[in-house]
Amino acid sequence: MSNQALVDAEWALSHLDDTKVVFIEVDEDTEAYSGNHIKNAIALNWKTDLQDPIRRDFVNKEQFEALLSAKGVSNDDTVVLYGGNNNWFAAYAYWYFKLYGHGDVRLLDGGRKKWELDGRDLISDVPSRSATKYVAKDQDRSIRAFRDDVLKAIGTQNLVDVRSPDEYAGRLLAPAHLPQEAARIGGHIPTAANIPWSKAANEDGSFKSIEELKALYEGAGVDLKKDTIAYCRIGERSAHSWFVLHELLGVKNVSNYDGSWTEYGSLVGVPVAVGDEPGTA
Amino acid sequence: MSGCGAVVGGVSLDNVDITNQAVIQGVISSGNVPASVGYARLLDQNDEFVAEVPISKQGEFRFFTVAGDWTVVALVPGANSRTGVTAEIGKVLDVDIAVTK
Repeated sequence: MSNQALVDAEWALSHLDDTKVVFIEVDEDTEAYSGNHIKNAIALNWKTDLQDPIRRDFVNKEQFEALLSAKGVSNDDTVVLYGGNNNWFAAYAYWYFKLYGHGDVRLLDGGRKKWELDGRDLISDVPSRSATKYVAKDQDRSIRAFRDDVLKAIGTQNLVDVRSPDEYAGRLLAPAHLPQEAARIGGHIPTAANIPWSKAANEDGSFKSIEELKALYEGAGVDLKKDTIAYCRIGERSAHSWFVLHELLGVKNVSNYDGSWTEYGSLVGVPVAVGDEPGTA
Repeated sequence: MSGCGAVVGGVSLDNVDITNQAVIQGVISSGNVPASVGYARLLDQNDEFVAEVPISKQGEFRFFTVAGDWTVVALVPGANSRTGVTAEIGKVLDVDIAVTK
């Protein structure tokens, strides 16, 4: 697949020693990096580095600047993100870098899984990068949706629930590798189409072809001329789908609702649909 | 808040009430020894992706789910395999999978 936002392993291998290319691993398993990682890669912790320590929100502009400065990332560096589990959290971090206006950010196709399954080298040496003075831009709100945006979108814009069909229907409250003990209710936002993130990926975690991706969304009856809000459980799987729509297919009016089902499914007084059908507004 | 993402080898069953959920767990082996690199993927009865975890260094994986028929896909470098299972609420189903390259 040829796309500026996506690089493959061969491209990565030819840039591992390029000091202006910063490989960053972002994993749901935050201990994976310490075990081994791609040569010269640094790590970001999706929770302790990218989330506010008190409120449920992202780190703010100043915190993001301090984080990347300490990690040795410059504004003119090419940032290449990769991670485990089909790049879920790497896509989330990609969206995050875009949110704060980083110039050149890319995703390694297939992430850590494809790299491992292809038998490529991983090392344990941690690189040292000199501190920088990173300057972030204000958040680009055009790619981030909040709950009020979602409520307004019911029945009028595209809502795309990218969780598994069982989570969408309310039969599961969380992905099946986590305990099903969440207190929040099950179901989905009325009128949301269920297009699981996984349909956009091959078994090795790489993205399907542009033609297949177009067919996926068009086949699901999503009118991409309308504004689209993607959501999942906490916003990282929907960042993967946002990447497909916004970065690979070039659909500009797409945002990610990072509050996702953990917020919406806990709200008082909002409409909820259960079962396999989208439901009505 | 827990992420949607994978936890190596599943999470500890300590302090987890399994009376209202079904647990599918096991070990993936390759060449008669536990695989140290690989993934376990869970598909529903329509072959839709439900979850995926990286296996532990001892080849272990674990899923928490509901009763029903599921497929566990074992992915290791150079090979994969599919195993159908039936899970029941309140029970831990052990599934050992041997993958042949």
